[in-house]
Amino acid sequence: MKVINAVLCPGCGSLCDDNEVYVEDNKIVKVRTDCAISTSKFLNFNKDRNTTPLIRVDGELKPTTLEAAIERVARILVEAEYPLIYGWSLTSCEAQKKGVELAEEVGGVIDNTTTVCHGPSILGVQDFGEPTCSLGEVRARADLIIYWGCNPSSAHTRHMKRYSSLSKGRFRLPEQRKVVVVDVRKTPTARNANLFIQVKPNQDYELMAALKMMLQNEEIEEQEVAGVPVEQIEELAELMRSCEFGVLFFGLGLTMSEGKERNIDGAITLVRELNRWTKFAIMPMRGHYNVTGANKVFTWQTGYPYAVDFSRGYPRYEPGDTTAVDVLSRGYNDATLVVASDPVANLPKDAVKHLCSKPLAVIDPHISLTAFMADVVIPCAFVGIEEGGTAYRMDGVGMILKKVVEPPEGILPDTQILDLILKRVRELKGGR
Amino acid sequence: MEYLLKNGYVVDPANKIDCERKDIAVKDGKIVESVDESKAKVIDVKDMLVMPGGVDLHSHIAGSKVNIGRLFRPEDHYKDYEVKKGVRRSGVGHSVPSIFTTGYRYATLGYTTVFEPATPPLKTVHTHDELNDIPILDKACFPLFGNNWFVMEYIRDGKLEECAAYIAWLMRSVKGYAIKVVDPGGVEAWKWGGTVQDFDQEVPRFGITPREIVRGLVKVNKMLGLPHPIHVHANQLGVPGNYKTTLRTLDAVKDLAAGDRPIIHLTHVQFNAYGGVDYLSLSSGADAVADYVNKNPHVTIDIGQVIFGDTTTMTADGPFEYKLFTLLRGKWANADVEVETGAGVVPITYSRSNYVHAVMWAIGLELALLIEDPWRVFITTDHPNGGPFTEYPRVFSWLMSKEARAKVLKKLPRLARARTNLKDIDREYTFYDLAISTRAATAKILGLSNKGHLGVGADADIAVYNINPKEVNPSKDYKTVRQAFAKAYLTMKDGEIVAKEGEIVSAPVGRTYWVNTKAPQDIEDAVIPEVKRLFEDYYTIRYENYYIPESYLACSAPIQPLEPAG
Amino acid sequence: MFSAYTATRACGVKVIMVELKLKMKGQSVAPIEGEMLTPDNLAKKSFNEILNLETWRGNRLVKLSEVFTVEGESTSNPSDLHLIIEGDLRKVRHIGAHMSAGKITINGPVGTFVGFEMSGGTIVVNGDADAFLGMGMSGGMIEVNGNAGDAVGSGYWGTRCGMRGGLIVIKGNAGAELGCWMKDGTIKVGGNADVFAGVRMQGGTIFVAGNVGAKLGAAMTNGKIVVLGNVPSILPSFNIDEIRANTKVDGEKVQGPFYVFYGDITEGGNGKLFISVPKNAHLKYREAYLL
Repeated sequence: MKVINAVLCPGCGSLCDDNEVYVEDNKIVKVRTDCAISTSKFLNFNKDRNTTPLIRVDGELKPTTLEAAIERVARILVEAEYPLIYGWSLTSCEAQKKGVELAEEVGGVIDNTTTVCHGPSILGVQDFGEPTCSLGEVRARADLIIYWGCNPSSAHTRHMKRYSSLSKGRFRLPEQRKVVVVDVRKTPTARNANLFIQVKPNQDYELMAALKMMLQNEEIEEQEVAGVPVEQIEELAELMRSCEFGVLFFGLGLTMSEGKERNIDGAITLVRELNRWTKFAIMPMRGHYNVTGANKVFTWQTGYPYAVDFSRGYPRYEPGDTTAVDVLSRGYNDATLVVASDPVANLPKDAVKHLCSKPLAVIDPHISLTAFMADVVIPCAFVGIEEGGTAYRMDGVGMILKKVVEPPEGILPDTQILDLILKRVRELKGGR
Repeated sequence: MEYLLKNGYVVDPANKIDCERKDIAVKDGKIVESVDESKAKVIDVKDMLVMPGGVDLHSHIAGSKVNIGRLFRPEDHYKDYEVKKGVRRSGVGHSVPSIFTTGYRYATLGYTTVFEPATPPLKTVHTHDELNDIPILDKACFPLFGNNWFVMEYIRDGKLEECAAYIAWLMRSVKGYAIKVVDPGGVEAWKWGGTVQDFDQEVPRFGITPREIVRGLVKVNKMLGLPHPIHVHANQLGVPGNYKTTLRTLDAVKDLAAGDRPIIHLTHVQFNAYGGVDYLSLSSGADAVADYVNKNPHVTIDIGQVIFGDTTTMTADGPFEYKLFTLLRGKWANADVEVETGAGVVPITYSRSNYVHAVMWAIGLELALLIEDPWRVFITTDHPNGGPFTEYPRVFSWLMSKEARAKVLKKLPRLARARTNLKDIDREYTFYDLAISTRAATAKILGLSNKGHLGVGADADIAVYNINPKEVNPSKDYKTVRQAFAKAYLTMKDGEIVAKEGEIVSAPVGRTYWVNTKAPQDIEDAVIPEVKRLFEDYYTIRYENYYIPESYLACSAPIQPLEPAG
Repeated sequence: MFSAYTATRACGVKVIMVELKLKMKGQSVAPIEGEMLTPDNLAKKSFNEILNLETWRGNRLVKLSEVFTVEGESTSNPSDLHLIIEGDLRKVRHIGAHMSAGKITINGPVGTFVGFEMSGGTIVVNGDADAFLGMGMSGGMIEVNGNAGDAVGSGYWGTRCGMRGGLIVIKGNAGAELGCWMKDGTIKVGGNADVFAGVRMQGGTIFVAGNVGAKLGAAMTNGKIVVLGNVPSILPSFNIDEIRANTKVDGEKVQGPFYVFYGDITEGGNGKLFISVPKNAHLKYREAYLL
């Protein structure tokens, strides 16, 4: 039995790298971690595994060869006038780079799942910037931790213990930290908080406005805001003002409720205001393990973090129009390649309807819902377990993923599959 | 492939060649004595200016903070784009260009080596990711040490050998090139929301002063035999009156110098050469700084010239960017990094009519003109802090022509003209001076013996500009100078033509240099387990995952230290 | 095939406009680039040159004549050119981008970014307009005889500056973030406006005849918003100033009475909200704070 140390977990955006993986006969037999997500990921990633390329014939997905599948994908992309290449949050930066190159070559739109999670956070950052820090700064210094519209107890299981409220830092012990949860309901995270503030759905912005008013010693003409009594808001404002190092973690509860990027505008400007009083940082709780990497790669290669339209031979960025959801719901695209994501399970109904009505290719280790609807499916290695590469943690720390077992025979990593598609696309295009 | 560049006027200061008509022979990527003319590709560059490829030692082109600037400035890009064409990938400009475009635009200017001067060690995977993607250029990155907990504590406790061992380990781990120091101690203070106001003020909770950090690192740099002196962004950047801090910083290490070899490189000094007590009374402190540099050979500087227009400031100096944000109230990004450093990014528009900006503009040029030895003052814009590197030709024309400077000066606020010395300076750079400051001297101070010159054995990195240095008078024809330098007639990298008259014709992978330095084994053996133990307490990643293997670099070029360690 | 159109210039001089008619041929799946469809661009071009102009359908360069049937003629002066575009134009983006003069009439529903960064001239949409209408506009006029999508009169991402001048009139409803970051000019909406109308507004005037969504005027620093219909709530960062009998929009009197709120206080803002008193009885509690 082989024991592999310091393995990164491709389970969530926390990208914990202290897992011990026990391998016997190219099988993971045990994982040492205290995280259910991680254990399940390492032990069950092989379930529902598809190891055969599939092509739809007469309405049915039938086994085919890798060459035939690649030929089909390449032809779909070359023939398309506005292909969409979507996904990228559950794979390596190496694959993402190939994706950008492919999108550029076929003149398509490339977008990552940011479009349905923290797209608003990025739009907020593009208006205001973001005072943030690496997670180790939170660990070392934070004495006030606010989770707003996020629930790490369930979604980022080890976040609190490793990086935030329950972590032991150089200048701060867990008992020296105060924890505040702002959410529409009492989540498991909220149950263990020092202060829980229940905000009415879609009124986070109002609450933040009230907090800013208090920080500026302005009088509010209300008894309660967003369902929260003014006294409680005052209490929170005082906690924020008087801490030594505060941090605001936020999640989809903020980015996907009414106002979207305007809520992030509210949150970032609140944290800017707080920096007049003390040191305060803000950080989005990114979900998929390398969605941050997708934003980074897209940005350094194209200038824009998501929703990049190459149809005119150079990167254009018009989120709200070139974002995958909008491309699909406006019915712009005439073909789609999905890599490392399952949009059929995640996107709005009208977008999914259009997605399935046009040629659809999927590269994924599993038969996802999207693969089930696809015209071509190419199975790939599971990045982070069967294939290495680079991934970025939610705070932008890049790390190198480990390959702990070999993929099933004949199964290539997505980077290689994309490279084969790209080569075939170039051949098909010829001089064009 | 063999080449013969015929009939050009060669300016190669490292070999004391000043505008001589000379053919340059190239074979297998190197400059050679001669090639067989019947086999070589002969390129007639008659009457054109031939120089070594440009070497930029300080330009923020890759890594975490650069990418923050890129990400949060779509408005910087959307009107400036490059369409995919042949080998050229598409991309966007302007002050924070996308990564391929960065390589192409440098190559278009005739630059072939560019160093990223600030990488948080923890985020150096990111820096290498971007460096790997920059086409054409040779590059390297400088890890940040001036606010590192280990460094501060080792120096405070007088454990310099241990400090050297730690830095050697880190340099090898992240594949870094030189010791970068930014606002020593000040960034750690900023992580609590504070600042270090004085060169001799203690860093909160660490019991060490900026002076001690800088002195300690100069000593360590020597012990490790690193090819480049410590690369310092001094305290109090951007603060009126800061030229005094600058002089104290330089003087603090004077006694550590031996011989004429520089031991400290002070970077983007324009931002650290301010007189006055506040922004209303801001004046140039360039004469005092230049005077000190002229008298003290242990110092080199680069200028960090300001260009009027829109750009993006970015630095590990988090507290400075916060101050700038409180003035501008626009966008502000801050990114503190555990144990090591921080970063801030703030967009800015330098305006001719703004008194402060006008003074800043004059200071950069004053430094370049008042420091007599071009081997010790280098032209940079601290891209993109003072302005984008694509504006270098403009800076060259200002340095080469008093008339060009006067034309700008005329449009500045009267008070700015009065409180700076630029109007009284007659000096004009020659092509020879320019080649020193942008190639020969930068290569030399970086310790790159194959760069910055066209002697036999040098890397065939060559820039040819369509300008006749014998006929053109830069003093008068500064516009011609500007145009010629904006678009090299030909840029060659490792003996391959990469750019021709603004077109990218090939895009080879450039090297990434790093220094394979080592402290004495017994000391490393004692220090590394200690670092490993504390690593688990300090960081949020595992010690094992901090290490970046050499195979991670697209084209690794390890450099051996200058002299035996210890 | 000469057809003339009489228009009145601002100075009161009647001019004859030359008409050029483009009719969308069939349907396209991929979006079509419409940024060259401006009088500035088409003026001075011969009929044949116009037919052969290239535009993008998705990633394909196609001739204008492939996408549109073209009738009429052009003229040398953009100000005298009246472009009439017809059909289902929902997938045509950026029509009228950077336009500085002349007129465009769009008969049918139209796609995103109509009048992108336009500085002058007139665009009339007889149909619904999709999102980002008048983005970055600095002058001229857009009239929509239908509904408009989100972010009318906003600015390109990251610019922190929306519409800087001109007039946008929407007969129907407007989407969310109406006039986001708007700096100057006027937007009038005949119907309702969705949430965050006037968010980050820095100047200019927004008039909504119908109802608005929540978070009206969020983080505005200057400018004026007048709402005749219902306002679900007022942000806590706005305080009541006074009650006014009436107010003015672009020099025209609008009958009140109005609650006048000022804010956004958290931005040190000097913006004003004029909210109809009779339609907003639920705001009466704020009167207690009137001095």
